[in-house]
Amino acid sequence: MIHLGRNTRSRIIAKGIAAGRSNSTYRGLVKISPKAKGARNYTQCDSLLIGENCGAHTVPYIECKNRGARVEHEATTSKISEDQLFYCRQRGIGEEDAVALVVNGFCREVMQQLPMEFAVEAQKLVGVSLEGSVG
Amino acid sequence: MLEIKNLHVTVEGKEILNGIDLAVAPGEVHAVMGPNGSGKSTLAYVMTGRTGYEVTGGEILYQGRDLLEMAPEDRAAEGLFLAFQYPVEIPGVPNTTFLKEAVNALRKHRGETPLDAMQFLKLLRQKTQTLGMSDDMLKRAVNVGFSGGEKKRNEILQMAVLEPKLAVLDETDSGLDIDALKTVAEGVNALRTPERAMLVITHYQRLLNYIVPDHVHVLAKGRIVRSGGPELAQELEDKGYAQFAAAAA
Repeated sequence: MIHLGRNTRSRIIAKGIAAGRSNSTYRGLVKISPKAKGARNYTQCDSLLIGENCGAHTVPYIECKNRGARVEHEATTSKISEDQLFYCRQRGIGEEDAVALVVNGFCREVMQQLPMEFAVEAQKLVGVSLEGSVG
Repeated sequence: MLEIKNLHVTVEGKEILNGIDLAVAPGEVHAVMGPNGSGKSTLAYVMTGRTGYEVTGGEILYQGRDLLEMAPEDRAAEGLFLAFQYPVEIPGVPNTTFLKEAVNALRKHRGETPLDAMQFLKLLRQKTQTLGMSDDMLKRAVNVGFSGGEKKRNEILQMAVLEPKLAVLDETDSGLDIDALKTVAEGVNALRTPERAMLVITHYQRLLNYIVPDHVHVLAKGRIVRSGGPELAQELEDKGYAQFAAAAA
């Protein structure tokens, strides 16, 4: 994200999901140029870990050349809780479907910005990618 | 419908239930009352299949089948429902989506065709009207930002939609003020049918003024020490649990 002008605003929302033995990494650059007085950026980086053998890494790069700018970064890491899974299973939703449901909920903020046709495919892709990664 | 025979359950190495016997027939409402630590929630969790509860003896038969052999989602598909004491939040998943998934999972298990979005919304609207829940609540993520009363009402809504055969209500009255309690109780009473059975777990007699049980059981130190009719609940209210705890020792 490159800020050139004054009072420019940007928001970055990154959602990473790691399952199995994978590692997910966020590596992003927020660059504020010398003339971008009053520029503001807010970066939110959320990671979801599924299973015991995966990892998440966050590498934020911030290059700020104007003292009147404000750049914020927030990172969270979470796992799908046993309680959430049990709640779904007690309602009749099988374990894999429950994981797909919770993961899609996790990504919703981002999915909602996609054109509908693509969002629908993306949701299904999440389900397919998660197959076999549970249990 | 439900037969619990000499059930022993251990949690984290400690025996919580030591010899529970209970039989519930369709149409009956049984209240299970007891002091903190008596094992009430443990009973609910063992019945619904939560991990961390080790059955060391006895059995649970549900509709003639070994309940403990079944996975949680299969028990649900067979009509077992738990209204949680502390309903969990599921961020980003709207109530409607969650309920539709649940309903269609049950329908699939029973060999019925799944409902599409329109059919499902129609079904849902019928049920929400009786409970006085707004469309707005349905669009929100499951239990996220819900007040205590809203969470409990959401549990009852799910029960209304899923139409279970045996509903276990785990301290449904906890954290509710009088008005919320009345609304929840009305919702539960509206779901009483001759085919449906309920197990109402509670500390306080107050809930049972609104949801009048057929049988009351007192649970102390992991065992049912006394059973009786609705008047037993009043006796407990007047005299307290101490005498039963002493009897169980």
